[in-house]
Amino acid sequence: MSLVIANIAKEFGRYPALKGVSLTLPTGKFVALLGPSGSGKTTLLRILGGLEIPDAGSARLGDTDLLAMPARLRRTGFVFQNYALFRHMTVADNIAFGLKVRPRANRPPKAEIAARVETLLELVQLDGLGGRYPSQLSGGQRQRVALARALAIEPRMLLLDEPFGALDAKVRKELRGWLRSLQQRLELTTVFVTHDQEEAFALADLVAVMNLGRIEQFGTPDEVRRAPATPFVADFIAS
Amino acid sequence: MSAKRPYRYRGPREDAPLLRLILSALAIGFIGLFLVLPVVLVFAEALNSGLAFALDAIDEPDARSAIRLSLIAAAITLPLNIVFGVAASWAIAKFDFPGKSFLTTLIDLPYAISPVVAGMIYLLVFGLQGWFGEYLRDADVQIVFALPGIVLATLFVSFPFVARELIPLMQDQGRTEEEAAISLGASGFQTFLRVTLPNIKWGLMYGVLLCNARAMGEFGAVSVVSGHIRGLTNTMPLHVEVLYNDYQSVGAFAVASLLALLALVTLALKALLEWRYADEIAAAHRH
Amino acid sequence: MNRFALSLFLAAVLAGAAEADSVKLLNVSYDPTRELYRAIDAAFAKDWKAKTGQDVTINQSHGGSGKQARSVIDGLDADVVTLALAYDIDAIAQHAKLLPGNWIKRLPNNSAPYTSTYVFLVRKGNPWKIKDWGDLVKPGVQVITPNPKTSGGARWAYLAAWAYAMHLPGGNAAKAKAFVAELFKHVPVLDTGARGSTLTFVQRGIGDVQLTWENEAHLALKEFGSDKFEIVYPPTSILAEPSVALVDRNVDRHGTRKVAEAYLRFLYSPLGQEIEANNYYRPRDPQLLAAHAKEFPKIGKLYTVDADFGGWQKANAAHFADGGIFDQVYKPGR
Repeated sequence: MSLVIANIAKEFGRYPALKGVSLTLPTGKFVALLGPSGSGKTTLLRILGGLEIPDAGSARLGDTDLLAMPARLRRTGFVFQNYALFRHMTVADNIAFGLKVRPRANRPPKAEIAARVETLLELVQLDGLGGRYPSQLSGGQRQRVALARALAIEPRMLLLDEPFGALDAKVRKELRGWLRSLQQRLELTTVFVTHDQEEAFALADLVAVMNLGRIEQFGTPDEVRRAPATPFVADFIAS
Repeated sequence: MSAKRPYRYRGPREDAPLLRLILSALAIGFIGLFLVLPVVLVFAEALNSGLAFALDAIDEPDARSAIRLSLIAAAITLPLNIVFGVAASWAIAKFDFPGKSFLTTLIDLPYAISPVVAGMIYLLVFGLQGWFGEYLRDADVQIVFALPGIVLATLFVSFPFVARELIPLMQDQGRTEEEAAISLGASGFQTFLRVTLPNIKWGLMYGVLLCNARAMGEFGAVSVVSGHIRGLTNTMPLHVEVLYNDYQSVGAFAVASLLALLALVTLALKALLEWRYADEIAAAHRH
Repeated sequence: MNRFALSLFLAAVLAGAAEADSVKLLNVSYDPTRELYRAIDAAFAKDWKAKTGQDVTINQSHGGSGKQARSVIDGLDADVVTLALAYDIDAIAQHAKLLPGNWIKRLPNNSAPYTSTYVFLVRKGNPWKIKDWGDLVKPGVQVITPNPKTSGGARWAYLAAWAYAMHLPGGNAAKAKAFVAELFKHVPVLDTGARGSTLTFVQRGIGDVQLTWENEAHLALKEFGSDKFEIVYPPTSILAEPSVALVDRNVDRHGTRKVAEAYLRFLYSPLGQEIEANNYYRPRDPQLLAAHAKEFPKIGKLYTVDADFGGWQKANAAHFADGGIFDQVYKPGR
């Protein structure tokens, strides 16, 4: 089930953020949306997550029309730049949130939710920290809680908005490798937004370079690096 | 400690000790003279003829009716203001819509407008000579010079307290937590109940405390629409005036003490909340 | 708690609905009559219960006379009004048509069951030797009186002063105008109501002489001691006729016409007159007035609004309307 994005356009007031973007993301791949600020990469991600509604275009995941679904039914595991953890809930409650708010009919029993939370805490290497509050965690730990929370709803895909933006260089490197191996293990289609080309090239299977609401080039890190399609791409990756 | 310092000049953020002394003395003196002393005098005056006398003045039919009326007005006003305040601040802080800045300005109207004018507005609308006056009279519905008018006036003046407390808080918190909740499958109502509300509960509580204090203490607007019928439409502040004008100083100051007490309890509760939940409040403000 | 609040609310809402064997009246009155009507209401309730077996509760509202009239015009649901001057009741008849224009003819004595006059309240020993209106403008004397624009009572004081100046040898309108202008230069604080200015003079201790209702002066003596103040009766003053009236449209809506009429009649009854005398209002009954001669000494000449000013409408238009003589002579802050 690849994710097929076609001709997506979006304006904010008179300002065009996306001017008809088309992309095909193969299943299970790790895709980076790379570009300077204002290039429209975050807007595209938010449209996929259902947090913005496009003016035109389509996005299909296999047979499913993604844009026809409201955000709450899309099950896109969205991880926000500043994590957006629920600050009044413990780590465990944060992770369990997506399960607890399901309609009664398909809500797992309490014991099962607790077990799932434990499993996820192990997966993100935060065993034993379930009782803490977000404010008691480091930045890297918070990022992993946000990821576990997104994974708890068994998402169709993962959407990460500048996932390492707020972390210092050392933690960033560690977390990068860990995220990459986790993604490969889960075989989850993952889109992440970054303005850091080094990060994009190190992590992604495919890189989409964006500028002023358009895709300048879409290909593997090698292709983009070896043969920049436009002067902008050449300039951007050289900097 | 200064003995060890190698340099004799002050750092840019250190004040001269004398200046600091003068400034704090000024501030404390002002507050003492204009805030604390009058409140103390109110209590002193009330207890002038003994506690029993003051209690008698409060436990008297007109006084009890005034206290009851103030409580009723507050009991009706508070829930409405909570609903309105939360709805308005939610709309203003989390969404963009045409007329938003106008609405924000409008919420401040009761702050800016004289309470007397607020009362007159209701006279103009519901008074016998007002827009709906004749219809209301024919339907035998009494709005002004009765409980509904008093509630309306109270509602008007205490309108902004909850919203004003919440708007900056909600704006500060942004909408990403709500977006996270939605993307995790929560409905709008679940999001509000489980994410928005817990995040604003302290702010909401401040707002409610202040709103209550204003609702029970309002004089001007209520005075215009009250009609001053003893034992029926006098609220506590109006009753204080009545007693004072009746040469019943002790009674007036006894009821005034109740109002002052309410203010002190409000402040104490606020301080208690801040002290008891300092961590959570701080956390709620942190990203 | 919620049910408690709800029942309180309902109780308050339903308080207006009268039960079969009890009836409620609302008497909208002016400032200084609080004590008078507290006594009248109790006596009338007893009297009415004895005559009809019905319980009557009289609710009272007090405030500046003009302001109270305005409230009735705006819908304050008065069954009867007992205000400081006929002009204020005229306003209700004119602006809200709640009672007929000829209301003043419906009860004896211009619908004024009691009269009063304006006197001087001075500090004990009368240090400024104030005996007559002319003494009020002695250099240095501070006079306390409420604002004639807002207080019915203050208009009586103003007119009394005017009449005094007019009747001086060689008096005319120009000299009278000069006199009141001089008089109000001696007023340091203009309160909005009679009770407010009493508190200013008596409790805050401002001023050397207060122009005040006779009953208000007696009350101040009673409340604060005749060792601190004394009353001076000037040789001339004005006859104040505080009027009472039934508010027809309201009593008919409430079904309270009978009891409201009885209430106003009671003010003229021997018992009512006695209570009024005891509260320092001059009763209409000449024998009773003579019996209370100690509290109500005879004043040489009492001018009347009708005879000396051509009635309230004319007096108001000439003196108190916007741009009238009072506005011309009174400059705040001087």
